[in-house]
Amino acid sequence: MGALDELTALAADRTAAAREWAAAGRPVAGYVGADVPVEVLTAAGFLPVRLTGDPDAPSDPGDRYLGRGLDPVARSVLTRLLDGAYGRLDALVVSHDCEASLRLFYAVRELHRTDPGIGLPPAHLVDVLHLPHRTTTRYVLAKIRQLRAQVERWSGAAVTDDALATAVATHDRVRALLGRVAALRRSRPARLTGTQALAVVAATTALPPDRAAELLEALLAEADALPEHGGTRVFLTGSSHDHPAVYAALEGAGLLVVGEDHDWGDLLHHRRVDPPADPALLELALAERYQHNGPAAAAASIRQRAAHTAAAATACGAEALVSYVRVHDDAPRWDFPAQRATTGLPAVLVDHQPYGRVDLDALAGLRPRGAAA
Amino acid sequence: MTRLDSALRATRHQKQWFADLRAEVAAGAPLALVNADAPQEIFRAMGIPYVVNQWWASIITAKRLGEDHLRRLRAHGYPDDSEQYNALPLGDVLEPDPTSAPWGGLPRPTIVLAETTGDASRKVFDIWGEQPGTTFYALESAAENAVPERWWELMPHRWEEAIGSDRLDLLVGELEGLIRFLETTTGRVFSETRFREVMDLVNEQEEWNRRTRDLIAAARPCPLEVTDGIPSVMVPQWHRGTRWGVEAAKAFHDEVAARVAAGTGVGVDERARLMFIGRGLWFDLDFYRRFQESHGAVFVWSMYLAIAADGYLRYGDDPLRALAARFACFSDQLYTPPWSVEWYVKEARHHGIDGVVHLVSDDPRGGFFTTRGLEAAGFPVLELRADNVDARTADPDALDRRVAEWLDDVVLPRAAARR
Repeated sequence: MGALDELTALAADRTAAAREWAAAGRPVAGYVGADVPVEVLTAAGFLPVRLTGDPDAPSDPGDRYLGRGLDPVARSVLTRLLDGAYGRLDALVVSHDCEASLRLFYAVRELHRTDPGIGLPPAHLVDVLHLPHRTTTRYVLAKIRQLRAQVERWSGAAVTDDALATAVATHDRVRALLGRVAALRRSRPARLTGTQALAVVAATTALPPDRAAELLEALLAEADALPEHGGTRVFLTGSSHDHPAVYAALEGAGLLVVGEDHDWGDLLHHRRVDPPADPALLELALAERYQHNGPAAAAASIRQRAAHTAAAATACGAEALVSYVRVHDDAPRWDFPAQRATTGLPAVLVDHQPYGRVDLDALAGLRPRGAAA
Repeated sequence: MTRLDSALRATRHQKQWFADLRAEVAAGAPLALVNADAPQEIFRAMGIPYVVNQWWASIITAKRLGEDHLRRLRAHGYPDDSEQYNALPLGDVLEPDPTSAPWGGLPRPTIVLAETTGDASRKVFDIWGEQPGTTFYALESAAENAVPERWWELMPHRWEEAIGSDRLDLLVGELEGLIRFLETTTGRVFSETRFREVMDLVNEQEEWNRRTRDLIAAARPCPLEVTDGIPSVMVPQWHRGTRWGVEAAKAFHDEVAARVAAGTGVGVDERARLMFIGRGLWFDLDFYRRFQESHGAVFVWSMYLAIAADGYLRYGDDPLRALAARFACFSDQLYTPPWSVEWYVKEARHHGIDGVVHLVSDDPRGGFFTTRGLEAAGFPVLELRADNVDARTADPDALDRRVAEWLDDVVLPRAAARR
């Protein structure tokens, strides 16, 4: 099996690596949101596995506890947590990357209090915030130290500075390799589809980081042998995608997603920690990396988003801009007018979309003639 | 029944204050537009006039201009079904229409202050910040793992313990930056002695609100309509930190006390005491009175007086940190389980509530844990689904029917059995 096939399979079976990890007696931590500093979990001996929803499964328990006014991804994740769909999780770390994640954390915390037998893992909120100010940096630094203390309590052992430095280096290596992989979809002709690129990124969030790096290197080594892909080159903005269905539908209709600005894609890896030489500054460097990573729709200003989208779409050689917005994911709709104006590309907003589905008719003007709907 | 003098006085004062503010701004004063849960006391201490965004939204809605303002947002490519409460005033900025603007219109603010709560509300303020001459000063909206028990008892003095130092350090740092920004851009002075005086006045005002809340909780029958209570507490709330605010809160208290002493109710045989959880239904304020005549069901509780009583008091030697403590967890108090759930249950017990109407908007806050907590404590809860400023989200007849059936089938029999 080639590296691409292996990564794609691991993206589809996200508990495979966790099962192996747990079978060896090692702890697994589920996490929600790209704002969780996974380095701290890795340094403590946890396998961090980013949790995904499932658009094809009912989400009744999540709907019940969270209400139906919240991003359906969070409702699905809570449902799957309650169903035990992620296998054994020794801990759950939730970030404040968006309101839905915060509400998910509050629900889990409250269920622990009111329904202690419900079987949810112990949970911790890591409140990484994003205003570009020194006051926020100091706060995020405190939150990273709080997380470090929490995982030490969970694991019963100190997270050493050496272990943290090693984890930072390993995760930075994964980010750098993902950056090189992303270039494969931007080349003309593209060597990866958007759907494939999405799967590669997703796989790395369910693997031990050193294993992820090995597979990414193998993928880069086989890149010249990968088939070429064509289609109308679009840059995808709007909601994030923890599931490949929308990408597959877009590309099945003749589009080629050459880049995106959500954190299941390019935004996950475009900024590294790049730790300073002084090991005493490592936590601070982590804080700055997570504070300034982005700009994600839910945490960035309209102006930041528009500038980033325009620059990224240009770098990708995009011919059009598509903003896909899931129902109850409100932030991207406010971003769209400025993104459209700043990129200067033909642009379409596909709004109020159900989780995992896309109205292809709304994209008719962008699709090549004769492409299947 | 006769309306409360304090409610009428508050409304009159507001109109005169707004006219004066317009004149002051026309003469060159800076103007701040502030979010409801932002630390307005800084502006008060520096003598910078400010308008509360949500108050202005409630005026637009009460004048039945809400749909027109949402249309203006839509015309500029922005959503008209997201953050309506925060976004309505933007309609005036994007498409000014002096002929229809309430009260002569809101002058263009020079600074907008808001916390970055939720995913989309900060975007609304971003758009304000794009307007010529307006700066958006953003505050973080931080969250914490630990939950204090019985926060309403801790907050007045032991707020550091209840909120946690990290959130307070953050907001204190942001407020220090805000003060420097305002000093630099307006030329006005921040006086620490003046600020301490403002903080003292706020605590004095909220102590009156606490006494008023306790009077209403104990009184049978309920001495006022909730629609009178809301302006009587909220208009002075937007003027907190002034002597007028304190006097208005005291006058409200004294008027309620006189009514309680006289045994004055709202003019009906009070058969059920209701609690309304959620923001005010600004597009249909008659809703609160509609079931008095038909069912003897009286709304005795809305969050506005209760949060004034429990949510604002902050004492301490460091006034800036005390101010940060007033707002670092404000939305937790109202919307985060279990903070909010336990408080609503405490308030329902305190007021002898027979039934709870819970407005659940189509937004991320949800309502499950609040409803479940109240039901577990023995209170019947009716969830209504509507947005509080967007009349399009609710069919008034359907709302009325549901409430009437619930009163007939659940609340009145239960209330009768308890009395």
